[in-house]
Amino acid sequence: MAISLRRHDHFPHNSRADALSVATVGNAFVDRVYAYLSPVYDIAFGPLLQPGRVKAIERLAIEPGDRVLEVGAGTGINAPLYPPHCEVTAVDLSSDMLERARDRIGAAGLTHIRLLEADAAHLTFVDESFDRVYAPYTVSVVPDPVAVVREMCRVCRRGGRIVILNHFRSTNRLLARMEQAISPATVHIGFKADLDRQMLLEQTGLRPLSVEKVNVPPIWSLITCIKE
Amino acid sequence: MPVDSELLEILACPNCKTPVRLVKNGAALKCDQCHRVYPIKDDIPVMLIDEATIEPE
Repeated sequence: MAISLRRHDHFPHNSRADALSVATVGNAFVDRVYAYLSPVYDIAFGPLLQPGRVKAIERLAIEPGDRVLEVGAGTGINAPLYPPHCEVTAVDLSSDMLERARDRIGAAGLTHIRLLEADAAHLTFVDESFDRVYAPYTVSVVPDPVAVVREMCRVCRRGGRIVILNHFRSTNRLLARMEQAISPATVHIGFKADLDRQMLLEQTGLRPLSVEKVNVPPIWSLITCIKE
Repeated sequence: MPVDSELLEILACPNCKTPVRLVKNGAALKCDQCHRVYPIKDDIPVMLIDEATIEPE
């Protein structure tokens, strides 16, 4: 199941990302991983991560008419969770994942969700375009999580909500060491296991309104922020 | 409709962050600043800097 490593995209020079995780990836690598993950993603990560998705929609507190941006739409697994009274724009880097999202949205007859192929670190929107910006299990996938969260802040209006759902490095030293040890391997199944939450928040200047533990076991974090 | 007027209002070139406009009978989006043209494939705009073509005219 291992895919070919091309050194130039698997190990790009990015000291900022290096500080957040021992594992480094490039966009081309992530794209290839999610191309082969796309048929099995919902089986592997569907039910396991679903409680966090449901809770995140609650924390987004979407109001009628809100413009919502989902960063890392994947297979469109969140699409049925959005209330019908909002307009969702969902982006992903992987065309294979988006194909599945489009089929799912079409089959469910959802007309309030549009899809775009885009790089989360170079969001394709003017400043303050959205009322809610949400990254579901995305920031540990991308090559440069700081760049992605900064972009999320840029496109969110002042007073809008930014919600990040993700696994982060444990605060338990032993667990953290284990996560760092397995992280170079877990990138092959789509994520870094050892992303540093505190450092990510510090480097992006985000001050969370709340940080909650979600899923079973509760080792994932749901971070809710208001853009200042 | 892949690119409606509401989307066009907020859509920007990922490189310049300036607005883009529909070109090629709605089959692509163009940034007039960097001249990048972003294709729309199967109704999904592909807003990737690396996959854009540069068309000065």
